[in-house]
Amino acid sequence: MKKNAAERVMLWVSVALIAAWTFVPIAVMLWASLMPLNALIDRGLIQWPSGMGFANYRALLGFASINEVFGGQAMAVARGFFNSIVVAIAVAVIGTAVAVIGGYAFGRFRFPFKNTLLFVLLSVRVLPPIAVLIPYFVILSALHLVGTYAGLIVTYLTTVVPLLTWVLMGYFGSLPLEIERAARIDGCSRLRALWHVTIPMAAPCIAAAFVIAFLTAWNELLFGIVLTGGTAKQTLSPALLAFSPTMPSTGTANLGITLFAAGSVLSAVPPLILALLAQTYITRLNVADPVTSPGD
Amino acid sequence: MRWAPTSDARFALGIVGGVVLFNVIIFILPLIYAAWISFHDRDVILHTQEFVGFDHYRLILTSAEAIAAILRSIKFTAVVVDLSLVMGLGIALVLNEDFPGRSLLRAAILLPWALSEVVTATAWIFIVNPTFGALTGLLHPLGLVAANHAWINENTALYWVAIAFVWHITPLGTLFFLAALQTIPDTLYQAARIDRAPPLQRFVHVTLPHLRPTVMIVLVVVTVEAFRSFDLLFAMTGGGPGTASQTFPMLIFRYTFEFSRYGLAAAASYILVAIGMIITSIYFLVLMRRRHYVNTGTLPFDADPRSPIAGDRTALPS
Repeated sequence: MKKNAAERVMLWVSVALIAAWTFVPIAVMLWASLMPLNALIDRGLIQWPSGMGFANYRALLGFASINEVFGGQAMAVARGFFNSIVVAIAVAVIGTAVAVIGGYAFGRFRFPFKNTLLFVLLSVRVLPPIAVLIPYFVILSALHLVGTYAGLIVTYLTTVVPLLTWVLMGYFGSLPLEIERAARIDGCSRLRALWHVTIPMAAPCIAAAFVIAFLTAWNELLFGIVLTGGTAKQTLSPALLAFSPTMPSTGTANLGITLFAAGSVLSAVPPLILALLAQTYITRLNVADPVTSPGD
Repeated sequence: MRWAPTSDARFALGIVGGVVLFNVIIFILPLIYAAWISFHDRDVILHTQEFVGFDHYRLILTSAEAIAAILRSIKFTAVVVDLSLVMGLGIALVLNEDFPGRSLLRAAILLPWALSEVVTATAWIFIVNPTFGALTGLLHPLGLVAANHAWINENTALYWVAIAFVWHITPLGTLFFLAALQTIPDTLYQAARIDRAPPLQRFVHVTLPHLRPTVMIVLVVVTVEAFRSFDLLFAMTGGGPGTASQTFPMLIFRYTFEFSRYGLAAAASYILVAIGMIITSIYFLVLMRRRHYVNTGTLPFDADPRSPIAGDRTALPS
């Protein structure tokens, strides 16, 4: 489509606005993370201070000395990073494996009460996490799973599995039957056909589902605080909040803000890498509406 | 439909049975337990329980604090849904145009969605902080605001949190709109151009009708996400200043951890679940209606790629 000059200007202005809206908040955080604390507190963000550099990151990761107030919390962030990796990978692996089988069943079979079950799956996803906080906490403490990886992994799986089942169901439903049918005629069992034929065909979407599961577990805060807060298994999100200027409990006002920025940037790295890697697949996976997604 | 005990049927039944069991464990049992808690008053110091029936529910539905929190949740959700719908569609329309670097920007706009709500809160705290924030830093030298202008105050807190949430959630809507825009046949636009329809009319008569199902989907998805949101509010304002951004999930959190009123919190959770169930039902109806619309409206019957395998299972060896 040919555009005239006015249309081209409007298009570029819109593109610039979209880029600004997307990147300015990230850039501001990145900028703050590179600043020395005194400069930021004295003169704010909008300046070019001397001493810009990676001092905050080095302090967080334990390569540089740090004031006493935040020494323990900086270690908590490093440990939280590790804990979050463990939990998120476990959730992504287990959740994807279970959801592949569940999604396949829902996508390929018709059975009684299917719609009722679909409704329950969707309810689990829509349910506010805070609504099941107390029962989960009580049940998990009775099982001595509070403050453990297992407790947190199980909790995250309860939201991840229904979501991924729902997403993969649509994709499996949209895959052509013929190849699988040919495999069955050649004597493959249902499970072998699933493993050797259907799953490879769905590989891109399974990868995207894996990323979504990882992000869900990596990004979560509420259950992280309640189930692991203050323990050795504390995840990254609650550890970060210890530096936040808005948390009344810290009592250290703004003294942790540069570390807060640096920690937040660090915690954003794995999601950003994964989102960029899986971007094309996520775009293809219709997260909201797999029931009707055209599935290429 | 035949239900002979073939290997297929056993396979399906095994999985479905597993799903049912899984849902009972993770969803139904906790909810039953929560119901039991909500009917009892528990003294955490004396370790006593007393059956109080519906007292907690009555207490919440007559408490000004709780009603205000519910209304705040609705207001927050409304602001988020309106803004992110308009912006999601607007951004998708721009990204659907041809320009150099388009695929790069399409990938990049996903970033806010991939970030956690905690990191979203961090980024926006650095924009709106009264002393070191970017807004004060930009506008104070121009003489527009005081050196420590409180951007987040009693009147604005809920809106700032809503804007931060819109930043985080809008890419999701954009994603759906972009996918839907690409399914609109080009011939429709060509026909519109032959008829010399101006761009606005092309948008109203060609683009919008095709996007209507997607608009419904985005509407429901964002409603759900905004309604259940807790992390961002907790990390950005903690419900404050005062109670200015204390939504219903925030209030339940305070009932639980500040006041140790577990019975009250469980009852409030049930009210939240009830509202959530209403939203789920609407969501479900929308999805199912759209499936009907797609199956019968836009695809020739026998070309439907989604016809379930069970329908012609007789063709499979078992």
